[in-house]
Parts: sequence; C-alpha cells; structure tokens
Amino acid sequence: MIVLLLTKAVPARTTKVITVGGVLRREEMDLVINPLDFKALQAADYAKRFNGGKLVAVSMGPDFKVKPLFTELYSYPIEGVDEGYILSDRRMAGADTWATAYAVALGVKKVLDIHRNAVDELTSMVESGEPREKVLQRAEELYKRNLIPNLLYTDKPGAPEAAVQRYARGQLSREELLDTMKKVRVEIERFLIVAGLKTSDGETGSTGPQTAEALSDLLGKRIPDITHVSWFEVDAETGTLIAERKTGSYFQKVRCQLPCLITILPDYRPDVPPVSRRKRARAYSYRNKLSEVVVWNADAIGADPSQIGLAGSPTIVGPGIDIGGIPVQKFLGVTKVFRSKVEKFEFNGKTYGPFERFQKVEGLPEELVRELESKGLIKVFDLKDLIAEVFSGVLAAAKH
Amino acid sequence: MSSQLQSIEVRIEGYRDVWVYCEHEDGQLTRATTEVIGGARKVADRVGMKVVGVLIGYNLNDLLREPIYYGADSVIYCDDPRLKDYQVLPYTTVLSDMIVKLKPWAMLFVTSEIGKDLGPRVAYRTRTGLAADVIDLIVEDFVMNLPTGRYVYKDCIAQVRPDFATRIAKIFTPKHRPQISSVRPGNFTPLPRDEKRRGDLVRWEPQFNEDDFQVETLETRRLPKSEIKLEEANVVISLGLGILRDGAGRPRDPREAYGMAEELKKLLSEKFGIKVEIGSSRALIYAQLKELEGLITKDRQVGQTGKTIAPDLYIALGISGALQHRVGMQRSKKIVAVNLDPNAPIFQIAHYCVVGDLYDFLPKLIEELRSI
Repeated sequence: MIVLLLTKAVPARTTKVITVGGVLRREEMDLVINPLDFKALQAADYAKRFNGGKLVAVSMGPDFKVKPLFTELYSYPIEGVDEGYILSDRRMAGADTWATAYAVALGVKKVLDIHRNAVDELTSMVESGEPREKVLQRAEELYKRNLIPNLLYTDKPGAPEAAVQRYARGQLSREELLDTMKKVRVEIERFLIVAGLKTSDGETGSTGPQTAEALSDLLGKRIPDITHVSWFEVDAETGTLIAERKTGSYFQKVRCQLPCLITILPDYRPDVPPVSRRKRARAYSYRNKLSEVVVWNADAIGADPSQIGLAGSPTIVGPGIDIGGIPVQKFLGVTKVFRSKVEKFEFNGKTYGPFERFQKVEGLPEELVRELESKGLIKVFDLKDLIAEVFSGVLAAAKH
Repeated sequence: MSSQLQSIEVRIEGYRDVWVYCEHEDGQLTRATTEVIGGARKVADRVGMKVVGVLIGYNLNDLLREPIYYGADSVIYCDDPRLKDYQVLPYTTVLSDMIVKLKPWAMLFVTSEIGKDLGPRVAYRTRTGLAADVIDLIVEDFVMNLPTGRYVYKDCIAQVRPDFATRIAKIFTPKHRPQISSVRPGNFTPLPRDEKRRGDLVRWEPQFNEDDFQVETLETRRLPKSEIKLEEANVVISLGLGILRDGAGRPRDPREAYGMAEELKKLLSEKFGIKVEIGSSRALIYAQLKELEGLITKDRQVGQTGKTIAPDLYIALGISGALQHRVGMQRSKKIVAVNLDPNAPIFQIAHYCVVGDLYDFLPKLIEELRSI
C-alpha cells in the first residue's frame, strides 16, 4: 500500500515573519515541519506497518529550505518516511489553497504513476512472452529502484524467493505470476493520503479536502476525504478504511473504499499493528528507504502554468491592518492615577481637567504632577483601586 | 517623468445574493449558523442583495423556515434520504450544482468540522477562492496596480481573518464568484428570531454522481454535552502555562492555581450574581498535565483553535498571549493580565496589567474581594 503524507514547512517563529505584498517569503525564514504533520506521520506510519508498502512524503516549497527538514521525517521513531518528493518552483510561489491543492495533487499522481508504470511494464513483458531471464533482470532493476515490492522480487536475506524469481526458475507459471502482479497493481490504486489537520501558518485546514478534490479531477474518479479523524483502521487486502471523526456534537464512524484522504486530529494515538500482519506487510513492502529526496518543478509534474502559484490562486491577500490601538493601560503598583474626581483648575496660566477618579495621569507637566502629588490628589493604582474600578464598576454594570 | 496609471473599473456581472450554508443539529440551526446569517445580512444590505439560506439533509420540514426567522430572505433546500448524514461527496455535489446553476455572489460557511470540509471542496470544484476563519466581512473595492493600469474591482468582500503575523489580513477573491468564506463563531450577532418574517422556500432536486456514496456512516454517537459555556460567561478566568511556576521560579502544583481560580469564580458569581467560567490557553491544554486531567479540558480553550469570546471581563493568569490566543479574547470589554514577564504580548492589549506573581496576587485579590 502506498501511503502518502502531505507535509509543509512552516515558519519556525510566528513573531518573525517576512512577507512581501501579502506573500510569505519562505526562502528568507527559518522553517520547521508543521507540528501537526507529526500526528499525520504517526497515522501514516501505522497504516504502512499494518499493510506493508511504503510511506511517501510530498511537500511543496523552496527545496533548499525544505530538503534538510526531511531528515527529521526519515529518522522519525518507528519506521518513518521511506521516500520524499518536494515540489519546488518559483512559479509555484504565492499559491493559495486552490493552487497548492492543484500542484500537490499532480505530485501525488506522478508518484502513483511511477509505481503503476513499473508494474505495468513488467506485466506487459510477461504477457508478450519476453524471455524469463529478461523479465528477471528488469524486475531486479525495478526492485532496486524501490518500484516493485518484495512480493515480486526480493534480495532480503532469509526471505523466500519472490514471484518473478520463482517464475524465472520455472517454479511459477505465467498465469500465477500475472495473478500476483495484478494483486500488486490493484494495491497501488488503493492508496491512502494522510495530512495534518492544518498548518500552523495558514491555519486554514483547506488544502487536505481540496487536494482530494483536485486528485478526483486528475484521476477521473471521486476521491473522498475524511477530516478530523481521531481513530482509523485501514486494510489494503479488502481496500477498506474505517474511521471515527468528529462533526459538530457528534462522533461519526464511517467506512469507505480506498483511495481516500484523511486529516488527523491532534488527539490521535496510533495503534500497534498485530504480529499476524507482519508477513503480509513484509511481502508488500519495498526494498529500502530512498534517502535522496526527489525535487520536481512545475514541468516535471505537468502543471498548467496558469493554475499554479499566484496566477492560479483565486484569492489575493490584501494589505494587512492593525489589530486596533493599545487601550489605556494601567499597571498595578506603577501607574499614577487621580485619587478622586478633580474639577477644572488653572496652573501656570493653563487650564487642566476635569479629571475622573482613577483617570490615568498622563501628558501633564512634571511640575504639575509634583504639585498634585503634594496635595495628595494622585496615587499609585493598586489592588483596591482595581477592585473598585473593575469588579465593582464593570461587573455591577454587567449584572443589569 | 510622471505617469498617470489609467484607472480601470472591473465589475463581475451575473452573480447575485449572499448564501449561507445552514448547519443544523437535532432539528435546529446551530447558533453559529444564526450568527453567520446575521453577518450575511450586514453584507447583503450593503450591496442591495438578498440573503439565501441553504439547507441540505433529510426530513427538513420543521427546519425550513428557520433561516428566514433568523433574517434570511429565502431558503433553498435539498431534502433526500441519501443526505441524512453529512458526507462530503454528495453534499459537495448538491451544493456545487446549486452554485453553478444559480450563481450566488457570496457563499458563507461556519468554521466548523463540516464548514472546513465542505467549503474547501465546493470552492475547488466551482473554481473559486476560499477564505477560512473569517472574523469580519466588509464590502469594499479591491485595487490592483499593474503596469497596464490601476484595476479597481468594484464591490468585493474584504474577508478579514487573523494573519499569523502580528496583524489581521484582508483576503479578496476579486475575479471569481462566489466569494466563499468560512466564518468563525463568535464574531457576528444573530438577529432576534422572528416567526413573522416571510420568505420563499425553493426545493432543489439533487442529481448525484454514481461514486458520490463511497462513504457510509456506520454509527453516530453524541459527544457528551459540555457544561462549559465560555461564550455566555460575563467573566472568564483563564489559565496559562505560567501557573506552573511562581515568582521565585519554584515549580507549583497547577491545582493550586486552578483551586484559586475556582474560589474566585465562586466568589464573583455569588457577590455579583453573574456567570463566571474558567478558560485556558491552548498551551496548557496541550501540555496534558496529569494534575489538571478532567479540569482543564478542550472545551475551555480560548483562541484561534478554541473559542472566540468577548466577556465583560477577561482575567488572564500566566498567559503570555500569543496572537492565536489574543484573537480569541481581544474583544473582551476589560482585560486584566497577570504575568511575570513584563514583555509578555498579553500586556499589549490588557487594560489592567499586573507584572508579578499570580500566586501572590490571587490570594490578595480574593481576600480583598471578600471584604467588600
């Protein structure tokens, strides 16, 4: 089973963000893997260990920034990511969720295509009656490139020989081999995409569902998404996923056929795959991890230039606005306020006031402040004042 | 050399009305839905359009007029046994077909599990933009300066949302319609329910794709109802990670602070006869402290991923006040913040700032309050 993890590099600190005209300059900031993606990674890892196969991470962003972060995904406790693909292209910069989903779906499709093509190529070699030696040789090449699972070819010590190897020796008939290949082929179509609930930068949670929709367009079949998943079970053997998710005041338990996209709630806890699944998982797994991350640009995934990046984004971020001015602030034990109401008065030929009780003393000449202090009209705002002003004042009003 | 950019006015014609996707539970519109109808009303009146409530589900009869009672001008509904439970594919098909055929100018969802699933899919399928987590909707022109001219897109909706930088951003969907947003609960006031309001009910006949029903509901189970109603409280006393240490830097049992907050809550509600609730920052909830198990639960979370509230008084105890927290409480009428760190961002918006130890401050506050 191919499990695809959608992941994103986000700014490490939300306080130091560089934007130009509303577009994040990811290439100029310190980035980290989106924290919620690690929940998705745990879920994806569980799905892969339960079924065998490979865990593929797909991300979009400037590759020189994102690549180093993938180390963390590869070395994640348990098994971690087996292969990484980064979609990186200046033309993809400034994408909103629509344009991101479009590009990511193309990347996912390409990953699937590569695996599908490998099995199809081998299948047509067998079907067209190519010599068994040649089939074996090609299978070895594809296996070493991690494109066909142990079930078809293997070099694992101690493992029984795989289908193509037994076919080459005449221990397996053509029909039996084609049958096994068909199983592998069917399983490629039963993929699972796992994403975090949302990213810590955009915080929209929209890219998951939109990627499922974009992929539906590309593959010509509707791919469902199930968001806010707190628990799930997925069996590539039957091609079914059962999940629990939250909608409003309800928990919904749903079943669907693969392929499917799920987004994972932060409260998710991975199960431990049973030992009984180990043999199957090994057979459907691939040779090893590909530590070299693959980078694809827009052309590599066949993206329509008018649908990616800023050009492909229906939304535009307008100029930012302030969150409102700083309120009149009083610091307990520090801020000077009027002890009680002071009527209008003159000082050095200028008129001041009137001042309310607890009004902050600000903008007055130092000399005047000293004068008021000496008369005992000014005090430092303290706990009793806070209670008088807030608790008795505000709350008594709230009662009505 | 001076060059005067030519001003070019752009109007996207042929789209009308503000639609609201109406979420319902147990035969009632959700409160958040009634709020969004209120928000839609504000926008629609500004541009002289109508508010249309969209209802999808099964056995909707008793519900059909509810959006109108809350301020919509009419309702489009799709009532079908196959739509009994929410599932993204058939719901997306129904809603996208409605949009393509009837061409709304704007479409508003609630920011909820459903709105955050259905909204994005519908936006993708109808090839338009989506602004998530919107806190305000303002009608204004969107201006884009290009080398070829100054393009003025007339009457767009500035979809205001918290930006993760220290600011708020306006999202525009200038060239595509409908302009789709999901609106965060707690930002608009519902109109009073009025059964005298009249409006048309239009039935929509769905046409499904054969692969729309791949997801089947096995079971639905009601979540335990939360007793905690932060939105309705006059005073919210909120706790953050700062409760783990006192002014001397010594670790403290967080139950101490929780206990004092409880005491303060009891005192205030008795003395003033008002509703008081205990809230929390996201950080404290996600710390999943053994000591606070069952006390500080997810339904107490204030902030971008929790609840947006505007009580008469908000007391922030040991909360540093990250932007995500502030957007959830900054509209509180008065804010009292207690924090050891004078540079804590919460002090940027608090009206009353106590730079100091909450383990020192709280007992004094409680004692003083008792004596009045």
